[in-house]
Amino acid sequence: MTRPAELYACLYAKELPAQAMLRLRPQLRERPFVVMQGEAPLQQVCSLNTKARALGVAHGMTKVEIDTFPSVTVLPRSHAEEQTAKSALLECAGTFSPRIEDRSDDTSLLLVIDIAGTERLLGSPSKMGKTLLHQVKLFGITACLAIASNFHAAICLARSMSPSNQVAITTSGQEGLALARLPLTVLDLPEKYAETFSLWGIHTLGMLAELPEKALVSRMGQEGRRLRLLARGELNHLFIPLEAAFTLEEHMELDTPIELLDSLLFVVGVLLKQLILRTTTRVLALASVTITLSLEDATSHTRTVRPALPTNNRQLWIKLLHLDLEDHPPQAAILALSLTAEPGSTSKVQLGLFSPQLPEPMRLDVTLARIRAIVGEDCVGRAMLKDTHQRDGFTIEPFTIPSESSTEVTSTQPRVAIRQLRPPENISLTLIGHQPKAFFFREKQYTVERAYGPWLTGGDWWAPTLWGNEQWDLIARSRDGELLGCCLLRDLTQNSWQMAALYD
Amino acid sequence: MPTAAALRLQIETALAHRIPSSLSPAPRTIRPLAPTGIFTVDNLLQGGLPLGAITEIIGSECSGRTSFALSFTAQITQTGKVCAWVDVSNALSPESASAIGIDLNRLLWVRCGVTNPITPLSSQISFSLPPKYLIVPPVKKGLHGGGFGPHPRGEVKGLSTAVSGLLRPEAIAPRCAEPQRRTKVEKEIFEPNPPQSIRSIQRTLTPRKSWFKPWSKIDQALRVTDLLLQAGGFSAIVLDLGSIAPEFASRIPLATWFRYRAAAERSQASILLLTQHACAKSSAGLVLRLQPAIALHDEPTVFTGIEHRVEVARERFTPTNVVPMRKQPQSDRSASWHSRTAWAGQR
Repeated sequence: MTRPAELYACLYAKELPAQAMLRLRPQLRERPFVVMQGEAPLQQVCSLNTKARALGVAHGMTKVEIDTFPSVTVLPRSHAEEQTAKSALLECAGTFSPRIEDRSDDTSLLLVIDIAGTERLLGSPSKMGKTLLHQVKLFGITACLAIASNFHAAICLARSMSPSNQVAITTSGQEGLALARLPLTVLDLPEKYAETFSLWGIHTLGMLAELPEKALVSRMGQEGRRLRLLARGELNHLFIPLEAAFTLEEHMELDTPIELLDSLLFVVGVLLKQLILRTTTRVLALASVTITLSLEDATSHTRTVRPALPTNNRQLWIKLLHLDLEDHPPQAAILALSLTAEPGSTSKVQLGLFSPQLPEPMRLDVTLARIRAIVGEDCVGRAMLKDTHQRDGFTIEPFTIPSESSTEVTSTQPRVAIRQLRPPENISLTLIGHQPKAFFFREKQYTVERAYGPWLTGGDWWAPTLWGNEQWDLIARSRDGELLGCCLLRDLTQNSWQMAALYD
Repeated sequence: MPTAAALRLQIETALAHRIPSSLSPAPRTIRPLAPTGIFTVDNLLQGGLPLGAITEIIGSECSGRTSFALSFTAQITQTGKVCAWVDVSNALSPESASAIGIDLNRLLWVRCGVTNPITPLSSQISFSLPPKYLIVPPVKKGLHGGGFGPHPRGEVKGLSTAVSGLLRPEAIAPRCAEPQRRTKVEKEIFEPNPPQSIRSIQRTLTPRKSWFKPWSKIDQALRVTDLLLQAGGFSAIVLDLGSIAPEFASRIPLATWFRYRAAAERSQASILLLTQHACAKSSAGLVLRLQPAIALHDEPTVFTGIEHRVEVARERFTPTNVVPMRKQPQSDRSASWHSRTAWAGQR
């Protein structure tokens, strides 16, 4: 049985710690920049950009040595930001093929993508490679790509490439030739083998491939045979695809604590751009965004914004987050922030020719957020009645445009409306023979024409509460002939009278 | 002999340089109307309230403004459109709105100037006896559940002190030669528990004149109405200034109403303005004045309803814009209707 044709693309990004930091800080890209790791007095350079390397900065330099370069920007290493950058690249690679193997090490990213059989969908390998690199560049990461029909050959070729040489394609069967000129360092050899080979005078993969197999095995064991096959580009590999969960998360640690909301929104804008890029590649949209702020007083402040429809409009998201954070500001300066998002399907609204004119959902979200900022959180929305006879037996729920048609039936007869007084106003009332006769309300005297009641109100029979309220419906008239139909409450325990509602 | 049409054309062309189309009336504009749901008022207004204009409803408290506006809103929500109720005094009762027939899912309710909700606390006071009248839980001593030691002999221990505790002090006090005054037994008073909450009730129930200085509420409401008009899509926006005294409502700058009128015309939203005194002046497309209501006395024991009377105080868009030569018969500009309470039933 013939083996199916194999084709692997190896995406290699060097200096991942520095690139992950620069991804979210585009203003630092034109300056020499290093990332340091380690405990405070023993920090060492773990990653740097080309500008810093040109100045003479090298890996492993200490803080004191870096201080001699005044123009170099130094930031501590952030594993969280590296992780988000890595998952973003995984997302990006996942749009080309579902089979990806992750061979990254501590400071570089190495993804091997199985692209066999994608020619008809994505075009020739060179075209596909250019598209992939263009996508990666949109995420703010510089990387190179090697395409070969052998897994290990693709890795070795990618490791040997300089960033200027962006896509390298090796045709099937020519791997040995392509690998021959590469130094042994691309194999990542253990130290004892590297020493042996240097003693033997073997410096390139071509020289290693030329060695006789039996003699090599007799001296180095099966490891020798494996290395020889590697150097010839003939070693087989069992592909273990990575199954990454689709999580939309971006994290950023701020260089200095931020107190102003406006300056925070600049950072939020950058993070949102990354999230939106990732959702658009999957033809999805952001359904909700949760912002978690790590504060200076070791607490965190979390807010979630969920508009009516999923959207990828960055300006809308920034406005909604701004209005929400203005309403609920954090109580201390912000040290770090992370954005978590839930994906949703891109909104498609089919408008009918004869359907009634309704508010546009996106604009309505912003309008409601603005109104909430004016009147308060619980004062905007639609009322939901509770199954109770208590006063104010309703809850306020967020307003959304209902899709189903109305089921309410309008009463055929005009009904009296009630205007509630919240809170009830105290009044002074004159009683004659247990019947109300006159009262003062809003600095006006009213004479009672008709009094209906009393009815005992308040209290549920199953709860240990008092039935301590009496309700009266009064028809009263002021001296200038104005009629007042009102509902009065009498608190029996206090013997006080309150105006609860007016019939209007 | 020339026909009437030819004569008319001849006269019109002769006068064209002085009076353009002098004999042909200008085309009549049909303005869209929405029914209010109250038969007599719809008859009076020849269809209902105008769309894309401000309708001002003026009247004192209890004159029927709210029930009128709710009835109109119910008609609109029935057609699947959405409405907004900007409640300046936080006075809308969702129960009565639902009873009138409003689909509450289609009504955006904005409550302005809401302070922390205060519920009448009297329903939360629980009455309980002082602890000395309750059965004291037995003190565990020794091996037995409630005994006084491992031996039955010990159970009578402390009996004499217990008996003396039951007796009143005057019964066992040593008698003297002179007569002793009897100590007066105080009548025990049961008070609701805990006394602190009563003090807090009295504090909270002090007169609050929330209607007294309503500037912030009015400001909130006007800003919210502006935002709603900008957002568009609301078929009716009710601005309820009904509990705001005229001296405050009339101080709202006229430019506000002018802006609202322009926005309403653009978005074809009906703005209903409930006031006690005319505010919008010339920006209002229709002004309805509600006269003081008359209470109905159908039942001796329950309040059954109110009779409302309305008259058209101003109508910007008259049905025809032809000025007749003769004085036309004047139609009645007022109407009345009965509104019943929800518990009155069908009549």
